[in-house]
Amino acid sequence: MARPVHPQAMTPSRAGRTRTAAPQAASGWYTQPRMLKYLLFDATGIVYLLVGFIALRVVWALGSGPEAWQELMRQLANPLYVAFHAVALVSVVFVAVRFFSLFPKAQPAHIGPVKPPPAPLIMAGLYAAWLGVTAVVTLILAGGLF
Amino acid sequence: MSEQKKTFVITRFDPDRDPAPRQQSYEVPVQPDWKVLDALNYIKDEIDPSLSHRWSCRMAVCGSCGMMVNGKPSLTCKDAVSDYGNRIEVAPLSNFPIVRDLIVELESFMEKLKSVKPWIVKAKERALEEGAHRQSPEQLEEFKQFSYCINCMLCYSACPVVANEPDFLGPAAIALGHRYNMDSRDEGQSERNEIFRGEGTVFSCSYANECSEVCPKHVDPAAAVNQAKFNAVIDWVTGFVTTRGGK
Amino acid sequence: MDVIRHDLIIVGGGGAGLRAAIAAAEKDPKASIALVSKVYPMRSHTVSAEGGAAAVARADDNLEMHAFDTVKGSDFLGDQDVIQYFVGEAPKELTLLEHWGCPWSRNEDGSVATRAFGGMSTKRTWYAADKVGFHMLHTLFQHSLRFPNIVRYDEYFVSKLIVDGGAVRGCAALDMREGVVRLFLGRAVILATGGGGKIFPFTTNGNIKTADGMALAYREGVALKDMEFVQYHPTGLPGTGILITEGTRGEGGYLKNSEGERFLVSRDYGVGTKAELGPRDMISRAIIQEIEAGRGIQGPYGEYVHLDLTHLGEEAIMKKLPMVRELTKIYVGVDPVHQPIPVRPVLHYMMGGVDVDIDGATTLPGLYAAGEVACVSLNGANRLGSNSLTECLVFGARAGLHALNFVRGTDGPNETVCLRQAEEEAGRIAGLRGKRGKEKMSQLRRELGIAMESGCGVYREQASMDETVHAVAALRGRYEGLGLEDKSTVFNTELTAALELGNLIAVAETIAVSAAHRKESRGAHARRDAKTRDDQNFLYHTLAHTGYSGPRLSKKPVTLGIWVPEERKY
Repeated sequence: MARPVHPQAMTPSRAGRTRTAAPQAASGWYTQPRMLKYLLFDATGIVYLLVGFIALRVVWALGSGPEAWQELMRQLANPLYVAFHAVALVSVVFVAVRFFSLFPKAQPAHIGPVKPPPAPLIMAGLYAAWLGVTAVVTLILAGGLF
Repeated sequence: MSEQKKTFVITRFDPDRDPAPRQQSYEVPVQPDWKVLDALNYIKDEIDPSLSHRWSCRMAVCGSCGMMVNGKPSLTCKDAVSDYGNRIEVAPLSNFPIVRDLIVELESFMEKLKSVKPWIVKAKERALEEGAHRQSPEQLEEFKQFSYCINCMLCYSACPVVANEPDFLGPAAIALGHRYNMDSRDEGQSERNEIFRGEGTVFSCSYANECSEVCPKHVDPAAAVNQAKFNAVIDWVTGFVTTRGGK
Repeated sequence: MDVIRHDLIIVGGGGAGLRAAIAAAEKDPKASIALVSKVYPMRSHTVSAEGGAAAVARADDNLEMHAFDTVKGSDFLGDQDVIQYFVGEAPKELTLLEHWGCPWSRNEDGSVATRAFGGMSTKRTWYAADKVGFHMLHTLFQHSLRFPNIVRYDEYFVSKLIVDGGAVRGCAALDMREGVVRLFLGRAVILATGGGGKIFPFTTNGNIKTADGMALAYREGVALKDMEFVQYHPTGLPGTGILITEGTRGEGGYLKNSEGERFLVSRDYGVGTKAELGPRDMISRAIIQEIEAGRGIQGPYGEYVHLDLTHLGEEAIMKKLPMVRELTKIYVGVDPVHQPIPVRPVLHYMMGGVDVDIDGATTLPGLYAAGEVACVSLNGANRLGSNSLTECLVFGARAGLHALNFVRGTDGPNETVCLRQAEEEAGRIAGLRGKRGKEKMSQLRRELGIAMESGCGVYREQASMDETVHAVAALRGRYEGLGLEDKSTVFNTELTAALELGNLIAVAETIAVSAAHRKESRGAHARRDAKTRDDQNFLYHTLAHTGYSGPRLSKKPVTLGIWVPEERKY
């Protein structure tokens, strides 16, 4: 029927004058598609944490000589790592799309004398920047630049 | 008028008698144009007078009658019974301590509302002889939407951060503070932005957007909170560059 | 018993109550002011007002015009000194509200916009889209938070005024949360509790409008004035009674009958060229006459007429009347951009109330009243739309200041005597909680509504009014046999509903008796058996005092001024 939330949620600074029952949240709530989407959005943080560890590992291997590097490349070819990176890619795209769609309405009507551009322009700009940076980095990694 | 029977499962809690909230079922003959509130009033008038609930205007403007209907925050004078099936669960608003039956403790909300200084702050009070401020329709548009809040607190029930962080100011309070920040007549932005960066910090918001989804007056508090984040940061930065005070 | 001591006690936290509190708090930062209300202030029924608040604003307008419109609208029963004062203060009050942040709608040049309204000779109604009451109330409430000397007591039901030595010394109030009665001691009390629309079965009013303040004053011997004049708003939704603002007609809406004709234009209902912008009493009567002539449209809740906004266009409606569109879509499933709205006259406002003078003072020293609960009398026999929000501000402020003066000039109360009275009241309420009896509350409420609707409707006649007088007196007796079930102390809303029912019946009786004795038609009191206004015999205010076997009536003269009563034609 209901699940407890933080016991002090929305509790006033001075004690209530009669005995109150603890604040609850409706339990069916978290299975709704919209709520699930938001939870996944927040949960992708774990993915990035793990990507961070892998990146540290890569940097460490870079500084440890060519044999360590070759060993790392061999390990990263393992299908589990490939699957993880696929998940990471999906997470990044999912978060980016959700964030970009919510970003325009987070712009205040004006900051000092400056007005933000209209929402479609902001979103176009964000996608352009994202895809542009992705293209450049891909080119670098593929050896096309530098 | 055709009639239909629906089962209402209502949370009851009498601190004099009940150790914890319990549920009680009622069979109600509903009319096709009833709102959930009409059914609650029928239960109170005809079946069980001990059911306590808050309500007043029955036209979605006073904000008294917020409750959880089938697990979702709802303004019961606005939601039609016909939108639901034959079993309807009515519970008090989530995330609030429960006082009695469907009535929750509001004091924390009132404190948070007051803490954002929801009034026109002026360095020097405007004299009556100066007449009304000039404010263009465009300037009015900049904050008008955020002034629609009826204080129904559905957004507090929907917000996952309110559920977990007792100090968080919450959607409605931040939206109200932001409404004053964006009002061209106000000069208190620095003060409010400092409050927004303080204990009840706006940065606790993780943009779940649930508050805006449940808001019955289309205030879009999620937009207000996230705009407030922007303003709070810029205010903090300019606070280093310029001397504080005024706009 | 807990004793709560303040200088000034204000009962009711709506437009008038908050304005009085702000006025007093500003004037004297050392004065301690209690704002006691049975609901949180933002739930007060001021919040539901839609159309606008009137004050002279434009260059082509002047105070005399506003005053004359109000005097004529009141069918010459309004006190002209009160009206002159009111129109002068009105622009100042609305400007103050603007300073405090009220988001008035604007013209292109940044000045405050005004719209046309019923009975007004020019555009002088300041508006905030169609949510003026909501914006005004929230502005007042948020502004009041600035004053540390205004202490709020939310969800306290004031059930009795404490009177000692011939003056009001405070009140006894039920703390709804804990279920105990507390004594509020002060040197003056201002009633700002609003009207009593819930006396009638179909009303725009919310659940909390139960004439509490009127009953409080009435029981202490203060007269209720002009109670027979209750306003039926022409355009309420059938069934729910939800208000559809006069602003719809101000923006150009038409009223049409079942034949699609604008009956206010094609037939003579006394509104002349003003048509849909005539005064409310005349429009309500016109609609009832159309329905009685068979030109109403049949619906599940009775007959109604059409309010047609389809010619205004979506843009205009979304800009000026967005809440109306939402209301009609949610509550009657109609989109006013494409379809006409079903409307019929619905009880809306009470011109009558606690008898006060221009300072808001009653005949009981220390007791003041402002807003709909009071009858100053600004509105006489019929109120013009958009005058009452301004009334709350003007007379709320005035009552606040005068009550403050009274506080300074009077000494403290005799605590022992007051405590004894409060303890008696606590005993009475404890006895009421869960009391055994055979009468059912919802049944009594229903019968009260039926009786009042039949005797004190838009059109009245002697026989049905007399029947209503007897019916309500009988209900007063049956109320003593009321049976309650909820014995809980915490937030017992059955108990407060029972207290409210007692107030409804007491005040309903004054309405019925006053109406039965006024044998003329004036303003909102329209009789089939006395169709004309009789200034010779009936140019006075009716006073109703509490008596052993019902209200005792007496007369109070009308303060005339530069305008002499003439035929009321538009």
